[in-house]
Amino acid sequence: MKVTSSRFSHKTAFVVDHCPYMAESSRQMVECDMLTKSRGQGVIPLAPVSKSLWTCAVECSMEYCRILYDVYPTRKLVRSYVHYIVSDSEFHSLNSWRQEDQSTQELMAALASVGPPNPREDPECCSVLHGLVAAVESLCAITQYQHEARRTLMDVADRVANRGRIICLTNAKSDTHVRMLEDCVSETIQEQNKLAAGSDRLMPIQRCELVLVHIYPQGDDTLVSDRSRKELSSVLSSEVHSVRAGRHLASKLNILVQQHFDLASTTITNIPMKEEQHANTSANYDVELLHHRDAHLEFIKSAQPCFLCTGDLHMAGSTSRDSGLKETVTLKWCTPRTNNVELHYCTGAYRISPVDVNSRPSSCLTNFLLNGRSVLLEQPRKSGSKVISHMLSSHGGEIFLHVLNSTRSTLEDPPSISEGCGGRVTDYRITDFGEFMRENRLTPFSEGVLDASGRTSSERAKAQLERHTRYWPMIISQTTIFNMQAVVPLANLIVKESLSEEDVLTCQKTVFNLVDMERKNDPLPISTVGSRGKGPKRDEQYRIMWNELETLVKAHVGSSERHQRVLECISACRSKPPEEEERKKRGRKREDKEDKAEKNGKDADEKAWPDSERLKGPQEREKEEQTESEMIKDSPDSPEPLNKKPRLMSEEIQPPQKSKGPVSLLTMWTNRITATSRKHEVFAGRLNSVNNKAELYQHLKEDNGMDLHENGKATR
Amino acid sequence: MPTVVLMDSSLSMTRPVSQEGSEEFQRKNLAVHGLTMLFEHMATNYKLEFTSLVAFSSLWELMVPFTRDYNTLQEALSNLEDYDKTCLESALHGVSNIVQQEWGSTCPCQVVLVTDGALGIGRGSLRHSLHTLKQRVEDKKFPLPFPFPAKMFIMCIANVEELQSTDAMDNLEQLIGLNGGEGQIFTMEGPLCLKSVQSMFGKLIDQAYTPFYAVLHCGNLASDVQVFPRPEPVLVDEEVDPIPKAVQTDLEIVGFIEIADISSPPVLSRHLVLPIAVNKEVDEVGAGTTEDAEEEPSANQMAGKSPNFCVLLHGSLKFVLLNQNNFYSKKKSNLMMSLFEPGPEPLPWLGKISQLGPISDAAENPYGEDDSKSPFPLQPKNKRSYAQNVTVWIKANGLQTDVQKILRNARKLPEKTQTFYKELNRLRKAALAFGFWELLKGVAELLERECTLLPDSAHPDAAFQLSHAAQQLKLASTGDSQYSAFNHNITPLHTDFSGGGAGDRM
Repeated sequence: MKVTSSRFSHKTAFVVDHCPYMAESSRQMVECDMLTKSRGQGVIPLAPVSKSLWTCAVECSMEYCRILYDVYPTRKLVRSYVHYIVSDSEFHSLNSWRQEDQSTQELMAALASVGPPNPREDPECCSVLHGLVAAVESLCAITQYQHEARRTLMDVADRVANRGRIICLTNAKSDTHVRMLEDCVSETIQEQNKLAAGSDRLMPIQRCELVLVHIYPQGDDTLVSDRSRKELSSVLSSEVHSVRAGRHLASKLNILVQQHFDLASTTITNIPMKEEQHANTSANYDVELLHHRDAHLEFIKSAQPCFLCTGDLHMAGSTSRDSGLKETVTLKWCTPRTNNVELHYCTGAYRISPVDVNSRPSSCLTNFLLNGRSVLLEQPRKSGSKVISHMLSSHGGEIFLHVLNSTRSTLEDPPSISEGCGGRVTDYRITDFGEFMRENRLTPFSEGVLDASGRTSSERAKAQLERHTRYWPMIISQTTIFNMQAVVPLANLIVKESLSEEDVLTCQKTVFNLVDMERKNDPLPISTVGSRGKGPKRDEQYRIMWNELETLVKAHVGSSERHQRVLECISACRSKPPEEEERKKRGRKREDKEDKAEKNGKDADEKAWPDSERLKGPQEREKEEQTESEMIKDSPDSPEPLNKKPRLMSEEIQPPQKSKGPVSLLTMWTNRITATSRKHEVFAGRLNSVNNKAELYQHLKEDNGMDLHENGKATR
Repeated sequence: MPTVVLMDSSLSMTRPVSQEGSEEFQRKNLAVHGLTMLFEHMATNYKLEFTSLVAFSSLWELMVPFTRDYNTLQEALSNLEDYDKTCLESALHGVSNIVQQEWGSTCPCQVVLVTDGALGIGRGSLRHSLHTLKQRVEDKKFPLPFPFPAKMFIMCIANVEELQSTDAMDNLEQLIGLNGGEGQIFTMEGPLCLKSVQSMFGKLIDQAYTPFYAVLHCGNLASDVQVFPRPEPVLVDEEVDPIPKAVQTDLEIVGFIEIADISSPPVLSRHLVLPIAVNKEVDEVGAGTTEDAEEEPSANQMAGKSPNFCVLLHGSLKFVLLNQNNFYSKKKSNLMMSLFEPGPEPLPWLGKISQLGPISDAAENPYGEDDSKSPFPLQPKNKRSYAQNVTVWIKANGLQTDVQKILRNARKLPEKTQTFYKELNRLRKAALAFGFWELLKGVAELLERECTLLPDSAHPDAAFQLSHAAQQLKLASTGDSQYSAFNHNITPLHTDFSGGGAGDRM
């Protein structure tokens, strides 16, 4: 496995010298009285102010932390913690490895309480050594992440690494002084490792990287020489940077944060932005961003010498203005045209941090992205071809640089679905499955939330899918009940894990409703696929429907006692009239008669249709038409389906007409529910029966279509 | 994973194979026979694989560019001519170029090198290439490791003994080593004959070209599917010993998420999920339903409005898979499975995958009754620097802008009292944190000067506020803990001019 510099980046300890000499001026002057120049004479401009070495060190180290926290927030796999220590006559620890302490605001507040170094303090008792010792001790302390890692890997706890880096910002006196500091760190590590070996709460340091930054005022000669990384022991390596305070220090730390955390720089160019002064014009700006260097993987690799014409790609090898020596890759802004939700083939997404976070171009870009827009980025090429290689997009207040695949896809030209198996079936319950997916959408729950039976969120999600699919016919012609609006309330409720009393009542009402429909001989949307002729007879249709409903409910009967009651209700109410047996004996004769009656009925049916049609919502009509068209498509050679327009909603829509016809079963049942005293309700048919035989289809003998008016009547 | 077949066409491939009592074969014939077997296998079981054919000797030539047309490949194979000596390095450069030109440098590829193990002599031989490995200048590097992830399968039309009698085996092993150990050397067992070449290519097929069959579950609905290209085990790059994680053959759907919420996630790889018939009686289920929704967008107004055909799958190896429809073209679409990086939280904006539960468990529908809301994306605990108006004065103009903002507002007092103090406090906080007390004094002086420059028409309150602010800054710059507390804010001076007297302070 490759050991990159970011292997050290789990723990970074900043040690900033707070000794009296750090109060010295950096001698870099900042003119902050800019406006006076335009305000005419007589006004004496304010003398420029200068930052102390301390101020320079603090603001550059805070910038380091800012970038770090932007790109590696604590909850990502690569966690980066900073422990900030200042040192004078003793050490002051400004934060800890705890996650809540990892923010620039916390550090700013702590720094304010420390204040600038006191120039009058006795220089003899002050030293950065106190801080370095504290830093080593702190590297031995276990972070939250290491603690969790050790806990989850009980048996292999010693595999959890403990590497770290100490960045020391100081003003050293000489190379000898530097060597003294290095020796001190080295010795302290040895001591601490001995201590840590015998402790559960400490971890020995496996590797430590010491980065000493010597800061000296502008105009002075440096007393300390630069030195590249050197191994001081098997545990410690050290490097020395000698930097002038001010902007040199800032760019040095910017380079260091990029090296330490494997960052790379991208400059977004051609960003159109309205001018403050001239609102109508827009100028193009550049914004430089830092991010993990894997976002440039494609460039890094293709920059390898091979005979490929990579020269076409414009690698801006030139020095980027802001970050000193580092290279930056230039990508061109493509003004987003639409706000379309599109799923790009993205091979990586990396958090970004603007190099110059406060500048107007930077904040314009970041605000634009934080408002939810995405920007595609194009590689500037000399030739005309346009290659989109990246995208900037924000997710929950964080901006990511997405790497998009810009080459040919190996998945192109996949086999057509219609040629695959199941591809010829045309009447999938697409709309229903869409609704099914909507119901089974996911949402985040807080950590560790378990339900009564100890299931995690995702286990509950899977359990729900299991319940919802216990009986789920996939094609329209395989089901009757799912094509019926009247069954919907029951079908939606029965899949629930537990039912309320109210739910049971709704289910029962649905069943009574169906009983009522059957009594009125309402047509059912039974598919005619596969059957020659008109398909099954009306009573046969109801038998199929009841069976299917029973199958659905039986699949859930084990869930609870209330589910059981719904099944009982169906078993009690479903049509198994005694007449059925008898009628079967009577044979075909009767059926022929019925056939005719049905034909007549159908004519009337069509006449009666427009009324109820008008009352239906456009959506329902659409749905019905869809069902209808699909059914016709299914069986091009079969005669027109007899139940052309299922009139399932009709009774709810028609105004109530209480006077006509007998009282419905539903009414009676509800009466029964309300009137608690009665124990048993006599079957409606039986009430009107002669010699205990109820006549079915009473109205068929009457005028054609008479029954239909009754059919559509609400009987509430 | 596209395949490049790199066929040795050097003269040594025409060496006859000693065989008793049958027609005489060249090694080349055996190689062609083996490749034919491979192509036939792919044409029936792995037909979405793109394959190209490169022949090489001292030069290399792309015989067939990447194609799924195995007849063309077969034809080119049978028309192969014989050339001079073997020079593997330039051929590998060729492979590298061909692949990068077609697929870029992120697409994983497989290279099938077919050779007799006579790897050339003198300059251009593999031995020479490997010897000079460390003396290369920047632009003449050895082509391995390839810039793209690659597996190298070396099919030797020779047996182990023959290869080991020279340094050929060592050199080939070194070659695999250069490729990061990704790959394998296959040799022939027993006499060189059709049967042994078949068994050798049979092993290659088992190793690299067996289709990945799985069952896609959605509750009780299930479908047999082929996943193409087959998902390869992934190494998790963590602090402890990495264990390769493989995708299970049971793909379980956990639930659904809107495409807008997933929002172009980074993926390790993408795979087509193709329904297959295990026996012809069984219609495919589950997957078929979603696919067909794509086929008939007109008949599917509702689903068109809620295109949440993203399916989160979660295998028991904690593998997180995302099923999605990808709109390559409007006409054709397919069920697609994307593999996220393994781990509890592949997408920060979705949170931990194991904590995603059904919406019915939530107190109220997080999507809202009319789908106007979404529980995603999750917000991080701390705002990023660009979202919280941080103060950075590393460059002089950062500081100048902040001072000017205060002065601009100072001239518009008392109307801009609130903004004036807001900017003043921002500056004060940063100056205290950076230990930049000199700035506080400087700005205090500036405010005092502004006070003297106020025109006669100015509101009397302006002067009061300016001198109040200046005084407060000066106090803060003394480091007196009473005035320089970081969280302390300078508040506007309470003045009341409505009553007339300026002294009516509260």
